[in-house]
Amino acid sequence: MITDEKRQELLDRLRNSVIQYDEDGAKEASNEVVELGMDANDAIFNGLVSGMEEVGRLFEAQEYFVPELLMSADALYAGLDILKPHVKQLDLGVKGSVVIGTVEGDVHDIGKNIVKMMFDVAGFTVYDLGRDVPLDKFVEEQLKTDSDLVCLSAMMTTTMVGMKKVIDDLRAKNPNVKIMIGGAPVSSDIAGKWGADGYAKDANNALKDAINMVSSLKKMKEEAEARKKG
Amino acid sequence: MAETRTMTPKERVLKLFAGEKVDRPPCFSGMGNATTDGLQRLGYKFAALHSNAKMMADVAAATYKLTGFECGVVPFDLCVEAEALGCEINVYAHLDDILYPTIKKKIIHNEEEMGISIPRDFTRRGRIPLVKEAIGLLKADIGNDVAVGTYVLGPFTLAGQIMELNDLLKLSFKKPEKVGNLLDILADAIVLCAREFEEAGADYITVREMGATSDVLSPRVFKNLILPYLKKIFSQLRTNTVLHICGKTNDIAPFMVESGASAISVDQKNDVAETRKKIDKALLFGNYDPYNVLVAGSEANVRQVIRKCLDDGVDAVWPGCDIWPTVPVENIKAMMDEVYNYRRPVPNKEEIKK
Ligand code: B12
Repeated sequence: MITDEKRQELLDRLRNSVIQYDEDGAKEASNEVVELGMDANDAIFNGLVSGMEEVGRLFEAQEYFVPELLMSADALYAGLDILKPHVKQLDLGVKGSVVIGTVEGDVHDIGKNIVKMMFDVAGFTVYDLGRDVPLDKFVEEQLKTDSDLVCLSAMMTTTMVGMKKVIDDLRAKNPNVKIMIGGAPVSSDIAGKWGADGYAKDANNALKDAINMVSSLKKMKEEAEARKKG
Repeated sequence: MAETRTMTPKERVLKLFAGEKVDRPPCFSGMGNATTDGLQRLGYKFAALHSNAKMMADVAAATYKLTGFECGVVPFDLCVEAEALGCEINVYAHLDDILYPTIKKKIIHNEEEMGISIPRDFTRRGRIPLVKEAIGLLKADIGNDVAVGTYVLGPFTLAGQIMELNDLLKLSFKKPEKVGNLLDILADAIVLCAREFEEAGADYITVREMGATSDVLSPRVFKNLILPYLKKIFSQLRTNTVLHICGKTNDIAPFMVESGASAISVDQKNDVAETRKKIDKALLFGNYDPYNVLVAGSEANVRQVIRKCLDDGVDAVWPGCDIWPTVPVENIKAMMDEVYNYRRPVPNKEEIKK
């Protein structure tokens, strides 16, 4: 067992490495976590993810921009790579797999990549189809991977209409799958009209939503743990 | 009411750039403005325009002929320079929907490959000669009446076309010298390309640096890393120039002016009245939303937004990006009509005293 003090020190280092987009720092702290036998779940959620939440806040406040966000994500991934093999199977009650991509004819993928990163953080298995994805590919991939969630991104009004085709097709083939759409021209009205299950309004809100997902996952985990202890 | 003034749209635009007095702000654009109406009348498919100079010029001219919109602009996509540098593009020829061309294969795949050099026959490669030809055709068709424009990409946006944007963004932070070197090379390529378009007779050239919007990059990085190369470009162009950046631009507007462009262009996210205070008399074009207002808005909505642009003090009524092809011709006409009939509110006496 490690002392509370040491645990706190490592959590702070993990958190700050993410905020200061310090990949090496994240690796070092993660390796120490493993060496000392500290709980990997604790390190991920209260260290790395907590740092990413702060990065989200800085992004919203326009202190951080997209490059900072991407670099913080790299630090987070560097830590995750080391810690993940040591995670005890989480019983979160969420299967958590998602197919994500930007629809055909659209190369705008900055936003999609940010959303994707948040799913990675939340522990989802992510099948990223990239950008300019032929519409059939989403359905194909969902069926192949049996994912819970399909996320569609479009940044142009002309390509956005492709989402409707994907939604209709998915619904016909697999009524249970959850569908979330986003991107600048999309609105909750459109999401409702086209029968999507979820929507995030803009850069900030998408991030918030994704972070909410992470937070609720954390909460579920805490509850699950409390139940175990209690 | 129709236009009653005698200055031709072309004279007006050229005088505006020359810093002379104009009878009213022009209503034009430096970015694409193909319309589905134009396409239908001509019987062309959008996907076919990008590789045919005559079709490209015809569709550009059709917008003026159908609506009175005061310019002709080619091309319609953002892949011309990247293609000439060796990228492969996709024009979606197999689809009937209107999809804009994209880069299919990039030429830089990792940091090590960033030291590219410009192909020796660069200006004869890809579609640079084709766009040049289209400019000539457009001049011959409507060039006496309206100003003919074209555009090139800014160095950062072009870099994002030829390498993975995520990598570019991160490297702008981690290895700014390396990115700077690439932007320097690309600035040279852009000048070479723009020179060709000048030679073809373009009356004005817009440099589109949308990749460097404050939605993505901090104003500090814009100033330190990108501005120097924009200056390099504008200092070498001879014709009238416009620097366009969409998205958030309030904080970088003064830097945009500093770039040396004859005019700056911003979109609907910019608070033009605020910007005007910061940039004094520099030419400012903008800033209606080309989709949500011009395409999806009602005529009344269009009129109201155009009036607001003029009230806020734009020097030309100009869209925030390419005009979407599905635009109703009636909406463009309503916009033109609003510009024809606009009278600047007379300042009250107290304001005059100030
Ligand atoms: C950068 C950019 C480009 C780059 C894209 C590079 C890349 N790899 O992404 C380049 C230069 C290549 C480009 C090209 C074009 N572009 Co562009 N581009 C932009 C710009 C400036 C920024 C977009 C961006 O990345 N924003 C930052 C990110 C973080 O925000 P975001 O994408 O909105 O994502 C957030 C949310 O939307 C949400 N979200 C996104 N996806 C999803 C998905 C889900 C499931 C959820 C829940 C949430 C969600 O969360 C994200 C993260 O917070 C915008 C203008 C603007 N300021 O928005 C124009 C813009 C999108 N482009 C536009 C246009 C017209 C084009 C071109 C057609 C121009 C042309 N003539 O060719 C081409 C398109 C080529 C093609 N076929 O795709 C227009 C679209 C107009 C419209 N309403 O349809 C815009 C809006 C500019 C404008 N003012 O009109 N562009």
